[in-house]
Amino acid sequence: MLQEILAFITLGIAVVFLFKKFFFKRKKSDKNCGDDCNCH
Amino acid sequence: MSKQNINVALIGNPNTGKTSVFNALTGLKQQVGNYPGITVEKKMGFCKLSNTIDANILDLPGTYSLNASSADENVVIELLLNKNDKLYPDVIVVVSEVENLKRNLLLFTQIKDLEIPTILVINMIDRMDYKGISLDIPYLESHLNTKIALVSSRKNIGIDSFKKLITTYKTLSTAPCLNASSIDEDYFDTLRKTFPNQSLYKLWLVITQDVNFVDLHRKSLKNNSFTKTDSELKRLQQKETIKRYQFINEILKVGQKVNSATAKDFRSKLDRILTHKVWGYLIFFFILFGIFQSIFEWSKIPMDYIDRTFANLSSLANNTLPPGAFTNLIAQGIIPGIGGILIFIPQITFLFLFISILEESGYMSRVVFLMDKIMRKFGLSGKSIVPLISGTACAIPAIMATRNIENWKERLITILVTPFTTCSARLPVYAIIIGLVIPDQFVFGFLNLQGLTLMFLYLLGFAMAIFSAYILHKVLKLNCKTFFVVEMPNYKLPLLKNVVINVIEKTKAFVFGAGKIILSIAVILWFLATNGPTHKFSDADTIITSKNENFGLNKTDLNSKIASYKLENSYIGIMGKSIEPAISPLGYDWKIGIAIISSFAAREVFVGTLATIYSVGGSDNEDTIKNKMASEVHPETGKKIFNFASGISLLLFYAFAMQCASTLAVTKKETNSWKWPLGQLVFMSGFAYIVALLAYQILK
Repeated sequence: MLQEILAFITLGIAVVFLFKKFFFKRKKSDKNCGDDCNCH
Repeated sequence: MSKQNINVALIGNPNTGKTSVFNALTGLKQQVGNYPGITVEKKMGFCKLSNTIDANILDLPGTYSLNASSADENVVIELLLNKNDKLYPDVIVVVSEVENLKRNLLLFTQIKDLEIPTILVINMIDRMDYKGISLDIPYLESHLNTKIALVSSRKNIGIDSFKKLITTYKTLSTAPCLNASSIDEDYFDTLRKTFPNQSLYKLWLVITQDVNFVDLHRKSLKNNSFTKTDSELKRLQQKETIKRYQFINEILKVGQKVNSATAKDFRSKLDRILTHKVWGYLIFFFILFGIFQSIFEWSKIPMDYIDRTFANLSSLANNTLPPGAFTNLIAQGIIPGIGGILIFIPQITFLFLFISILEESGYMSRVVFLMDKIMRKFGLSGKSIVPLISGTACAIPAIMATRNIENWKERLITILVTPFTTCSARLPVYAIIIGLVIPDQFVFGFLNLQGLTLMFLYLLGFAMAIFSAYILHKVLKLNCKTFFVVEMPNYKLPLLKNVVINVIEKTKAFVFGAGKIILSIAVILWFLATNGPTHKFSDADTIITSKNENFGLNKTDLNSKIASYKLENSYIGIMGKSIEPAISPLGYDWKIGIAIISSFAAREVFVGTLATIYSVGGSDNEDTIKNKMASEVHPETGKKIFNFASGISLLLFYAFAMQCASTLAVTKKETNSWKWPLGQLVFMSGFAYIVALLAYQILK
C-alpha cells in the first residue's frame, strides 16, 4: 500500500511539473535570458 | 614679439595611442594634474610649437562619441561646451588610428560639428603597410573639411609636421560635417528660431546630454513647447548616428583602400588562409571532421561505463528493495530515465569543449565571415550566420539572437530555418541510432564511419536550413537591403577558465534543464506502461501461461512473453498500436511511435522513453539501453527493429522534423503570430515524414 502511495505521489509531481512547464510559464522579468531560456 | 599661448585638446577613442601622442608632443615635461569636481583624470602638458606659439596640451579621457554614457565622457563634453572654461580649446586634435578609422571618425564628425578648429591625427601609420591600407589624404581632407596629420607616435614619425600643422589652426575650416537639421528638420527649425544665436549641434548636445553650456541651462530647453520624450530623443540620436556612419562610409569608400592581399602581419596572413575561398572552406571542413571523429572515439569508454552502471543500479534496486509499485517505478522508470540523460554527458561535453575553443580562439568570427559569402547567395543576411551557428547548441537562444537583424524578411527567414541546424538535443538521438545501425568500422584505416555519419547529419541540417532559406526568399515577396559588419577579434590562446566554465554551463543546462522533463516523462510513461484498461492486462499471467503450457518454455522465456503481452495491452501499448499504421511505412513499430510523440516535448526524451518502455517490457533489468534496443525484434517478421533501413529513416526524420514545443513557442513570440510556427511545424514535420518514408522504402 505504502509503495502504491509513493508511486502515485511521484506520478503526481511529474504531471504537475510538466503541466506547469508547458502550460503555465512564468514571464521572465529579464529579457536577456541565458543559453537555456525555456529551452528544455 | 609677444608669445601666444594656446590650448590644444587631445580627444579620441580609447586605445588610439592618444597618450603616446601627448607624450610625443610634450616630451617628458608634462605635468599631471587632478582637477576639482571630477573623479577622472585630465592630463595637461606644455609644448613649444614654434618661436611664437606655445601650447597647453590637454589629454582628455578616451571616449567613443559625444553621447556620454560615463563620467569620463561627460568631462569631455562639459569642457567642449563651456567657452568660459580657462582650458577651453583653441584647437581640438582628434586622434584616430589607421586600423579603426571608420569607428574613430564618428567622434571626429561630432567634434567637428561643434564649430571649433579641428585637426585629425591618424596614428600608427607604421602599420599601414602591414595591413595593406592606403589613404587618399587630399580627398579625405577636402571631404572632412580638415587637415590631417599622419603620425606614428610609437616610432616618432610625423610629430614635427603635426606641430607645424597645429600652428595654422586659425586657417582651419570650422564648417560642420553633418547638417544637424537633417536629423529632424521641423524640430531643428523650431530650435533655430527659438535660439537664433546658438550652434544647433551644441543645443542638441545640451538637450540630449546631462550638461549645460554658457548661459543656456537644460531646464530652459526642457520647459519649451518643442520638448520631446526620452524615447523620441533616443530615436533621434540613433538617426544621427546612422546619418554620420552613412557620411563616413561614403568618404571612406574613396578615401581608404584596404588590400588584404598585400597585408604582411601574422594575423592578416592567417586570415588570408582561414577566409580563403578554397582553403578556408577546406580547413573548416577538416576541423569539423576532426571534431565529430573525436566526439565518437573519445566518448565511447565513458558512455559504456555510464550505461553499464545504470543497468547494474536498476538490477540492484530490483533485487534489494521490497517488491511493489514504487520499487518498480525506481527500477524501471526513474533509474533508466536518469541513465538516459547522463549517458550523453561525455558527447555533449566534448562537443561544447570544441565549440568553446573555436569561439575563444577567434576562429569562429572567421567562419562567420567565410560563410557570409554563401549566405548572401541564398538570400540571408551575414548576420543570419550567428543564429545558425548558435543553433548547434539550442534553437531557442538562436532564434532570439535574430533580433539584431534589422531587415524583417531576413529575420523571419532566419527564424524559420534555424531549427534545421543540428541542436544538442538531436545529439543523443543520433548517437544511439548511429551506434546501433552504423558499423563501428574505420574507412582507410583512420576514418571512423560513425563519426562520418554524425558529421554528415550536421552538414545535412545546415544545408537544409540554407535550401529552405532560398525557397522562402523566393516565395516571400519583400525587398530590403542590409549591411553586414563583423569585427575580427585578434587570435588568442583560449583561456582554460572560460572554456571550462562554458562547458560546465552547457552540460548543466542539458542535465538539469532537459533532465527534469525526461525524468518526469519517464515516470508518466512507466505508469502508462504498467497499467492497462482491460482484463487482458490484469490477467496477462493466466492468459500467456495457458497459451504456452504445451510449448515447455523455461521461466525466463515465459516471463518475457508475459511482460511483452502486458506492455502491448497497457495504456501506452494501446496508444502506440493506434498510431502504428501511420508510422509502420517508415519502418517504425509502436514503441518508436510513442518515443516520437513523447519527444515532441524535447528531442532528447526519445532515448529515455525507449529506455523506460524496454525496461518495463523486458525481463532482464541488467541489460544496457543500447543492448535492449539492439535485441528488439519485430514479433511477426522476427527482423531487428533497429536495422539499417529503419535507422537511417529515423535519423533523417529527426534531422528534419520540428520535434520541439519550446521552439514553436518562441517562434510565435518572436513573430507575434501563430501562422509562422504552424507553418514551420507542418513544413518541417511533413518534409521529415516524406524523406523518412522514401529512405526506408528504398533501403529496406
